[in-house]
Amino acid sequence: MAQTSRIFHAVRILFAVLGAAVVLFLFLNHSEQLDTPLMDYFTDDFLGQTGAQNSVAAIYLNYRVFDTLFEALMLMVSVMEVINVSWANKHAEQYRFEKDDFNRKNNSEIVIRMVGIIYPFVLLIGLYIIINGHVSPGGGFQGGAVLATALITRYLVYPNFDLDLHVLEKLEKFLFLSIVMTPVLYVFMQLQPADTTLTNQIYLVAMNSLIGMKVFSGLSIIFYRFVFYEGR
Amino acid sequence: MKPLDFITGEIVGILLFFIGLYGLMTKKTIVKTIMSMSIMESGIFLFYITINFTEGAVPPIGQAQEAAFVDPVPSALMITAIVIGIGVTAIGLTMFMHYKQKHGITHWSRNRNQTGSGH
Repeated sequence: MAQTSRIFHAVRILFAVLGAAVVLFLFLNHSEQLDTPLMDYFTDDFLGQTGAQNSVAAIYLNYRVFDTLFEALMLMVSVMEVINVSWANKHAEQYRFEKDDFNRKNNSEIVIRMVGIIYPFVLLIGLYIIINGHVSPGGGFQGGAVLATALITRYLVYPNFDLDLHVLEKLEKFLFLSIVMTPVLYVFMQLQPADTTLTNQIYLVAMNSLIGMKVFSGLSIIFYRFVFYEGR
Repeated sequence: MKPLDFITGEIVGILLFFIGLYGLMTKKTIVKTIMSMSIMESGIFLFYITINFTEGAVPPIGQAQEAAFVDPVPSALMITAIVIGIGVTAIGLTMFMHYKQKHGITHWSRNRNQTGSGH
């Protein structure tokens, strides 16, 4: 029995090594030079066509906005799954947060002081990345992740569950509706004035802010659910 | 060709993908399966981000044309893929906790009482 399992183990290792070798061989020995028509199209005149100085923002907010829509849907579905398909929902009485935990955690004084100083700057840089996402490196996803980091540092300082996750979940659903409606009206149906210089900027800033708030609420819901419900 | 020239992002990405595939094939712990899936995702991200690399290209921001732009398409694709990866990992871990609390299953095995992380 142990002999056969060892043989199977060796076969699996051999399979993985062989697969990696074949793919590496094919990758290193191909001589075909592929053109980059998508890159040429996207970097040709993105400032004139979309009003964004950041080409990546121009792609995920205007040229390929379908990607962003379905990514937002995917994040919302995963948040709904984390909230609703959980064993802790039906057994909530075992998962009640105890008030004494705050004293028993014995958090480091250095961490608490330093995080208290850093906290406003984390919020500030998150908002900066979101607002300036279309003129500099950054955007809604990155800024939302930085904002969620601010909530995680809040958990380090004050590990208490006084956050209403249902409000955040409702906010995320409403934000998803806005994220779907804004490009549908502005990009697909072309409901825009003749001179789109100003409205393009408004559209980009608004979409980046919506995506940033949505990623922020989604990541904080996932983090707080895992810390206070799943990890017990 | 120096030996360090072989260590490019694409090759490391392919190797990471197959390390994750090896973990998926051999490990019987559910948490290790989820970790292997994350490692495979990281390999795919690295492969896509470093693909079509050109020496001396500038970031695709603004209209400065003194040098060629970096390809922005893989970056824009991977931004969405990273967020989807977070969602997939969260779904997997929540389902694992549900099954563990309800049925006591922690391994891909018919033996319910199997414990430990050595598999």
